[in-house]
Amino acid sequence: MSRRSRRRYAWASLRYGLLGLALMYLLLPFFWMFLTSALPSSDLTSMPPKIDISSFSFQRYAELLTDPTFLSPMWNSTVVAVSTTLICIGVGAPAAYAVARFRFPGSRAFMLTILATQMIPVIVLAVPLFVILQAIGLLDSYEGLILTYTAFILPLVIWILSGFFEDIPPSLEKAARIDGCTRLQAMVRIIMPLTATGLAATAIFAFITAWGDFFLALVLTSVEAKTLPVRTAEFQGLFKLDYKTAATAGVITSLPVLLLALTFQRYIIKGLTEGGVKG
Amino acid sequence: MTKSIGAGGGTKNRFFSRGRAESPDSRFAFWLVFPSAAIIMGLLGYPILYAAWLSLHDFKLSRPQSQPFVGLTNFVQMAQDPEFLAALGRTTYFTVLTVGLGVLMALGLALLLAQEFRGNAFARTLLLVPWAVPPVVNGIMWRWIYDGNYGALNWILLKFGVISEAKLWLGTPESALNAVVFAELWKLLPFITLIILASLQGIPRSLYRAARVDGANAWQRFIHITLSSLRNTLILVLILQTMWSIKVFDVIYVLTQGGPANGTTTLFYYGYLETFKFLDVGYGSAVAFTIMLLVLVLTCGYITLLRRQRGSSKVAKEEAKA
Repeated sequence: MSRRSRRRYAWASLRYGLLGLALMYLLLPFFWMFLTSALPSSDLTSMPPKIDISSFSFQRYAELLTDPTFLSPMWNSTVVAVSTTLICIGVGAPAAYAVARFRFPGSRAFMLTILATQMIPVIVLAVPLFVILQAIGLLDSYEGLILTYTAFILPLVIWILSGFFEDIPPSLEKAARIDGCTRLQAMVRIIMPLTATGLAATAIFAFITAWGDFFLALVLTSVEAKTLPVRTAEFQGLFKLDYKTAATAGVITSLPVLLLALTFQRYIIKGLTEGGVKG
Repeated sequence: MTKSIGAGGGTKNRFFSRGRAESPDSRFAFWLVFPSAAIIMGLLGYPILYAAWLSLHDFKLSRPQSQPFVGLTNFVQMAQDPEFLAALGRTTYFTVLTVGLGVLMALGLALLLAQEFRGNAFARTLLLVPWAVPPVVNGIMWRWIYDGNYGALNWILLKFGVISEAKLWLGTPESALNAVVFAELWKLLPFITLIILASLQGIPRSLYRAARVDGANAWQRFIHITLSSLRNTLILVLILQTMWSIKVFDVIYVLTQGGPANGTTTLFYYGYLETFKFLDVGYGSAVAFTIMLLVLVLTCGYITLLRRQRGSSKVAKEEAKA
């Protein structure tokens, strides 16, 4: 080997080594939580921990998935996150289309408001929302939580979606209009189908945000509408040493969003980076 | 936002939209935006005004019958409250560390991932794991890793001889705060990395070739091409991450509950305690408002920085032309 190629070789192995370290840091913690949920306690508490696939047991999963105090938050989270996502896309997509395509009185102010909402810490709104929801009888209810999540997630949805709409050439609507489509038809029949992947990525983004929220659910629900993250956090407080159940609950809580994120990764990465690169 | 089309010709509309709201395009756009605007105004706008009202009153849930107006008393009390000032200090420490380390580590990782190699796409996909994991689960995960008796961190560090005896990572205020920083870094790293990576891929290759021809070495190419092209993206990432770091809550709630000895009680957590544990809603709202002001001031600061640098780079370009 010449000196130059040896140097190149050393450089490449350094790069791979660093990359390997980084990926280990990003993946091992979650993998370790999964092992914790599946390995017998005695194997986990021995030093060093015994990691043996043949002793895997999914007993904790069976226990949690038949426990009504775990199943009902799971159902609540599903209802709330799905509804929030549908409303955000249904209401947000037309708005995003409008700001991407038309200049109208207040369009700039609208986009500025959308940006400004990102600076509001949820805690500022927690008490007012608590009082308002209590007054209209929606505290600890699906409707109350869905309304609150929609308010917080909608601006983000509009922001991401308007980026996707801007990617589509306006000449398409012009052609549709010449062929006799109304403005609404051009939007619904021509543009929305073309943005399907963007809509899907944004919907997943909205779902992941709603599913993972903890603070608002902690403050605005107690029994009826308690969500999965709140329930999962309880395992940590009540049974301080029962890491196995907490880890199992953690894996179950993460599974739906992980599957969604990994399945649609290409579109999500595009959706996430869109604003960043353009801005 | 920039393009405008319509039956009557886009440019015409652009001129008339200000004065005449009744143009068909404007009216159509108005109805598309209306539901969103109504939701945002009603569910964010009104509560914010209400929160402002609360912060100016002596409002305690333990004493609901009287809530006298007290002006800025809550804010004055806050400025003299050692607990508040300590929480502000911790938030600053937490934010500086997570933002600084986060951006540096993400830059390194993005540079590694920008190279062509086998499994590159797979590695990028894996980045989404920490991003998608719910924050509460992040807390649960790290609590077990940091465990003093059976935690994986102690085990690994002992094995490689970094420490000589097992440590209680969440046992002292200082080490608990650092533990929270590293748990949070795990979650925020992927997003910053992806944004920097996307921006890296937008840098034209020809720039590097040209620089090489001109005799620039690797370091010079990194500083003058890579870093200077990334400047706007880096500032954007700084803004976003600062906003998020100041608002940290979930991971602290699960990992340490603000302890030990209030060692991880950040501003947000302090506001939460005042409002929902001690039921001092007026004071809690004042703390919450201060967090918002802090975010606002920092964001404006960053944006000014961005503008100024844009301006100076324009000047430089014009000078180069002349």
